[in-house]
Formats: sequence, structure tokens, C-alpha cells
Amino acid sequence: MATENAPQSMYRSEEGLGIWEHRGKVAAVGIGHSPTERRWDGSRDTSVGALSILALRKAMEDAGVTPDQVDGLVITPVTTTGAFWPEEDPLPWDVIKSYNQTDDPLDGIAKLSAEWLLKNMPELTNVKYTQYGPTCMSNALNVASQAVGDGLTNVCLVLKAWHNLPGRYYQSGPNAHDAIQGTSAIRTLWGAPACSGTALQFAEYCRKYGKTHDMMAPFMINSRRNGLMMPEGYWYQHRPEELTAEDYEYARWIAKPANLFDNDIPIMMAGAYLFATSERAKDMKQKPVYILNHASSEAIPRSLTPSLDEVEAETASTARKIYEGAGITAADLSFENMYDGFPQFHQFHIEGLGYRGIKFGEALDFYQTDISIEGPNPVSPSGGNIGAGRSRVWLHTDSIQQIQGRAGARAVTGVKPEIAVSGGPMPLGGNYTVWSATPD
Amino acid sequence: MTKRILISLDIDGTLEVGDPPGDLTMEMVRIAKSKGYIIGTCSDRPLSTQRKILTQYNIEIEFAVSKHMLPDVKEKFDADVYCHIGDRDDLDRQYAIKADFDFMWPDEAAAHHWFHK
Repeated sequence: MATENAPQSMYRSEEGLGIWEHRGKVAAVGIGHSPTERRWDGSRDTSVGALSILALRKAMEDAGVTPDQVDGLVITPVTTTGAFWPEEDPLPWDVIKSYNQTDDPLDGIAKLSAEWLLKNMPELTNVKYTQYGPTCMSNALNVASQAVGDGLTNVCLVLKAWHNLPGRYYQSGPNAHDAIQGTSAIRTLWGAPACSGTALQFAEYCRKYGKTHDMMAPFMINSRRNGLMMPEGYWYQHRPEELTAEDYEYARWIAKPANLFDNDIPIMMAGAYLFATSERAKDMKQKPVYILNHASSEAIPRSLTPSLDEVEAETASTARKIYEGAGITAADLSFENMYDGFPQFHQFHIEGLGYRGIKFGEALDFYQTDISIEGPNPVSPSGGNIGAGRSRVWLHTDSIQQIQGRAGARAVTGVKPEIAVSGGPMPLGGNYTVWSATPD
Repeated sequence: MTKRILISLDIDGTLEVGDPPGDLTMEMVRIAKSKGYIIGTCSDRPLSTQRKILTQYNIEIEFAVSKHMLPDVKEKFDADVYCHIGDRDDLDRQYAIKADFDFMWPDEAAAHHWFHK
């Protein structure tokens, strides 16, 4: 039977659910990353399937786990950055045929199934549980956490991979057609770039609280700085370019008030983690990072794009779910790694969390203080998508590495890394994980 | 009287040091500079990075701007010819037209006498 999306019952998307029943009983241990590339060069070894296999093998090796010990696989099947295989282009049969195929020739090229991975990783002989966490790693982590806690799998690989093809962002796929099926034509504003919804919210935010776009600069500079200390990231590997306040201020608008650098760079990469029961994790190669809770936001906006009021209401609700299930308060967070792609909603996430006591309308002022990894209030120590490219993975990798003491030059030094929260993507519609150095 | 020529250079897809590399070599840029032309960069790279790239090749530039800032360049520098060289229709040619600059594709520029002794 083909792998399916996780059932709704696996997500903790309501308030009032109490402490998560598996709090501290599930742990992340291994981390595996492929190299990053800007776009696919068409070769076998850099296809999204190849990168995924590489990341999964690295995660097992990092955890000191042999492939036969793995009994679960949770992945995100969608790998597009917004680039779809052009309908008029011939399929890359030389690459497709070099792997064991499923019935979809683009599997492993512009999408990814659990079945494709298992066909091409014969060493995974004991995988009995497969599941999809749609959209992004944050979702897959929630599914894997619950699956391990529920006993559906004891040693589980979790994967998110991205393909990026030559050509312009969001110019292919359904957007290349003369007509769009279903309600997309109503839901998707014609001609609006992807960041436009967030830009509208940010504009509303600035009006409401009397803030300005240039107040984002310290966050952007800090994120790129942190990202340039993330060896797994795109900017570190390919273009070690810092951002200055001047760079940010003079970038061209994409959807005012969102400029070029308010958009993350689409890349190819794969990131994987090895999850296990806490019992199994304690004997593995790396220090276990315990999961205290997972929580989800499933709010649907009233109109085409969420209003600021809706954003604030939902981020506050998400925070209550995060804290309630983990049995912690905002004061327990050592650092935060909430999503930043687009950076202009990062402050919505941390205001909702009440990170370091900030309230709605205060994040941009908070950014003017010391938010560095050396200070007492580290913001996005991973550097996020802004610091390392579009993956939606760095935030989780960093949270695990910080708590394991493996963050290298990026290690937070102004606080002891004990409890962190990471997740996203959107303020309305996201998945979050609370990580801890100890199970209780 | 010699015409004053201002050349605005895109980087990625235009200069040999771009990502992807383009047709214009740094030696060509150096030659244009030696002829007394006003040379600068106009790219989506951060301004600080634009400056660093050219500095690495010991080429002193008169300006480093983002794509939408070509009108500012025109206002700041007095020249008889303003030309932007880039590899994209949407991000180079259109911006050049909008700013009332002449425009050349990288391969055209690489063959142009401005860049040869």
C-alpha cells in the first residue's frame, strides 16, 4: 500500500490537550545533510533522490545506527521550491533509469515517495512504518514524534528534501497555464509574488505599531551572520556574503515593504534526522535531544491572506499549545528557532511566544538590542532560511545541535542551551517542536 | 571632444566571476577602466559584496548599486553615454530602458571595442 499523509489524529492542533502523553519519551539523535546547490545540474548524483539517500545515510551514521535497526520512515513527499518540471521538456531518462523506479518517472527527480527511497536503499530492510508529513520538515517532525511515541516505530528516519530547477521561481507548473483549476484562481492573487501576503501583514504591523522596514536590519544581519557559521548551509558553502544595513536598505522591492533580501533563496538540499524512543536513544552515538511536545496551527484565514489580527490571535494560540503540552513557560526557553522564510513574519512568531517577555508590537524594538548568539537573548541562532537558504530545516538542525553541544562556531554562549522551540512555516498553518536537554 | 562613457555592469551571468559566469572577463573590465570610462556595478548582490568582488580584482569602481538605482547613477554622474550590460530581460534590459540607459547583452559587450585595446 502506498504511503499516505499522516491522519489528523497525529497532530496536536487544539488548546486544552494538556501535557503531551509522550513528553520526554521521544528523542532526536542523528543529523544528516546533503550538500546544497542553487539548482539541479541534471546529473544523477545531485538529483533530489540522490541527495535524500545521502542525508538519510548520514543521519544513521551520525546516530551510530545500522540500517537494519531502522523501522520507520517519515518524509515530506513534495520537494518543489516553486519549480516544477516543465511539461514541454523531455524527461531525464538517463537519470530516472539509473535508479529503481516507481510508476511515476519524476519520483526522485521533482518529487519523492517513501517507496522510491525504499527501492533505492536496500539496506533499509526492516522499515515497517512509512508516513508522510506534508509540506515541510516541521510537519514531518510532528508526525515522527507522535509515531515514535505511539509505538508505531522505535527508530525512525525523518526527511525533507528540495529540488530546484533552472528557470524563474513560480513561473512554471499551474502558473504557466492559461487557466487554473478549482479555487486557486480565487485564492491566489494574480501576479502577486509569494511574499506579498506577508508584506501586507508587515505593512499593517508597521502602521499599527509605528515601526519601519529598516528596523528589520539587525535581524537580517544577525541571521546572515549565524548562517555563515552553519557549514551545512548554502551561503556558507557557496557565497559567504555578509549583509550590512546598507545592503538591506538599498535592495529592490519585490512586494513593498518586502525587498529582495526579505525573500529566501531557493536551493537544492536534503536534511534528515534519526528519531528514537528515549530508551533506545540513550545508547546511541550522540546525546539524545528529548522532545517535550509538538503542536500545530491549522487556522484558516477569513479572506485571501491573513490579517494582522488573525496572525496575532493564532500565534498566541500556538504558543499556548506549545507551552501547555510541554509543561513549560516562555521563561524556560533558552533560545528560539522559529521560521523566517519570510523574515517579516519571524517577529509574529516570537511575539506570539512572548519570547523574553516581548509583547505584540515590540519585536522590532527587541531586534535593536543584543540578539546575537553571544548575548542573553539569542534570536534565530540557526540563521534560518535567510542565513542558509530555503530548506525549512536549519531551525531544527540548529536546535538539536545547540542542545547536543555540536553547534560549533554558532554555539549560543550567552545562555545555557537547555530548552528550545522551532517550527513553522506560516503564522497560520505550522508545526512546532519543543526540544530539551533532559526528558523532564 | 571625447565622449564620456558610463558603463554599468551586472555581475551574475555577465562577468566571468558571476554565478553563473558571464562573457565579460575582468581583464576586459580593466581595459575599459584604463580608457577612462566611468565603471560601476549594478547587481542583485549586496552592495558590500559588489564592491568586494571588484576590489578582489584590483578594479576601482565609481558606483555599486541595486538594479532599481540606475536613475540615481544617471543623476550622480555626468556622461554622454550611459550603458547597462546584463544577462536578463526582466532584471537588466527592462531596468535599463526604464532608467533611459542603453543596453547590451554580455556577449555583445564582450565583442565591443570598449573592452578591447
